[in-house]
Amino acid sequence: MVDELLFFMEVLVGGLLAGTMYSLVALGFVLIFKASATFNFSQGAMVFFSVLAFVGFMQDFNIPFVLAFILAALLMVVVGLCTERFVLRPLMNASEDTVLMATIGLGYVLEGLAQAAWGVEVRRLDLGIGDFPVPWIADNLKLFISALDITAGVVAAIMIIGLFLLFKYTKIGLGLRAVADDAGAASSIGIPLKHIMLLVWSAAGVVALVAGCMWGARAGVQFALVDLALKALPVLIIGGFSSIPGAIIGGLIIGAVEKVLEVYIGPFFGGAIEGWAPYVLAIFFLLYRPEGLFGEKIIRRV
Amino acid sequence: MNTSTNILDIKNIEVTYDNVILALHDVSLKVPKGKVVALLGANGAGKSTTLKAVSTMLASERGKVTKGTIEYDGTSIEKQNPSQMVGLGMVQVLEGRRCFGHLTVEENIIAGAYSRKLSKGDINQELEKIYTYFIRLKERRKSQAAFTSGGEQQMIAVARAMMAKPKMLLLDEPTMGLAPQLVAEIFNIVKELNQKEGVSILLAEQNTNVALKNSDYGYIIETGRVMLDGTAQSLLSNDQVKELYLGISKKGRKNFRDVLKEENLTKKKIN
Repeated sequence: MVDELLFFMEVLVGGLLAGTMYSLVALGFVLIFKASATFNFSQGAMVFFSVLAFVGFMQDFNIPFVLAFILAALLMVVVGLCTERFVLRPLMNASEDTVLMATIGLGYVLEGLAQAAWGVEVRRLDLGIGDFPVPWIADNLKLFISALDITAGVVAAIMIIGLFLLFKYTKIGLGLRAVADDAGAASSIGIPLKHIMLLVWSAAGVVALVAGCMWGARAGVQFALVDLALKALPVLIIGGFSSIPGAIIGGLIIGAVEKVLEVYIGPFFGGAIEGWAPYVLAIFFLLYRPEGLFGEKIIRRV
Repeated sequence: MNTSTNILDIKNIEVTYDNVILALHDVSLKVPKGKVVALLGANGAGKSTTLKAVSTMLASERGKVTKGTIEYDGTSIEKQNPSQMVGLGMVQVLEGRRCFGHLTVEENIIAGAYSRKLSKGDINQELEKIYTYFIRLKERRKSQAAFTSGGEQQMIAVARAMMAKPKMLLLDEPTMGLAPQLVAEIFNIVKELNQKEGVSILLAEQNTNVALKNSDYGYIIETGRVMLDGTAQSLLSNDQVKELYLGISKKGRKNFRDVLKEENLTKKKIN
């Protein structure tokens, strides 16, 4: 009995921590959704592009770890700058659908650029954190939990707190929330949309880099990272597209549910339900709570 | 009116949307420094378009000033964008209030100071000053703006604009959909801001009577043209204005063009 409970705990905690990795990816989506009211299809490509550049700087140019990370982050700011100037600004008055299509195109451009610059082979990323159980926890709590999962959890927590403080207590955060509510009204009182867009896309780029590091360390830096973006979709549907806490909780729920279902119900379906179980959950949310758990309710006065 | 005392001087502007739809044919108007000027007309007459041409918000709706000039505070606004205009002291309060619904009342108002470099203390000081005009908002400062009443939302929108410390306010239908008592309250505040803060005001209204009673000068536009202008007093006592805009109707005449046609006919008869 105790063993079973311990096993369940292990599955659950492992799932929750793995979920924070989804949260990290989802965070990037939320940032852009808040400012542009559009689902950024290029977020997956941004993850791939940023982490490949990071690994490329280290392996091809022998740049030390920290410096390479800073360079990659700066590169993402440049990507944000170019996106604002060459994609968003010309589409300023276009419909949200048009911007959505543009993000798909942007995704292909980033994928192509990344592969043209750094090649197509899978690269190893060593963060110096092993993807194996932490001995101390295994000895004392009898739980086998990966050090990488714990790191991802801590990193996600730090990023969330940072972004929360940025939005709630800074001037630019207030500007961003104002733009998210009504871009036209925001511009009528002199909030420069340009700066807000630039900030948001750069922040999403840096978040993509962090998410890419975590996933790259686990699965190798490869093209498949692009498809990670799709896993963020159920996370966002559950958490709410416009909510940062939602992205986190959504990620945790998806992570936990898919692992628990995989272990306990998976065998009845012949396994591998991890892949689709989150989408089934997402469909239930779409039916019964379309704004997600934490999404901003569409407020209508009557 | 001496030209040098005008804070805003619009000369014969023509505005098109999407390069094809002609919204304004020929509009000229002046706003003297420190005065309240009313821009009157029915739906679709071109009031909002005129205001957006001035605040340069037209561009975001694919509109363009294709002829004529607009001078604000002595300089052309041709190359400006909305945030630069706010920097120059011209703020527009858009039609339909447009509050930031998910922000609190106070956050909405503070957002108005975005273009100014103020310390936290300065912002609080400004905020207290604004609250002296909008007492009702102070009570509701912690509520989410989306849950406040229509009148309160209009006050939020004006208070927010005032935080940018404007020299000139453009108000687009500030009393739309409000009960008469609130209409009076809003206009009282507008007058007070005009007198105590010295803000020049150009306001677009359909509510001709109340607007003229609270203005110094008025322009009446119809299908993109200025049909009549004059001091508020003269417009209020003008027979045609009375008939067409104040609902004191005679025959089946619908607009100024009909009136002018009739006048021409009578003139011809006399000749």
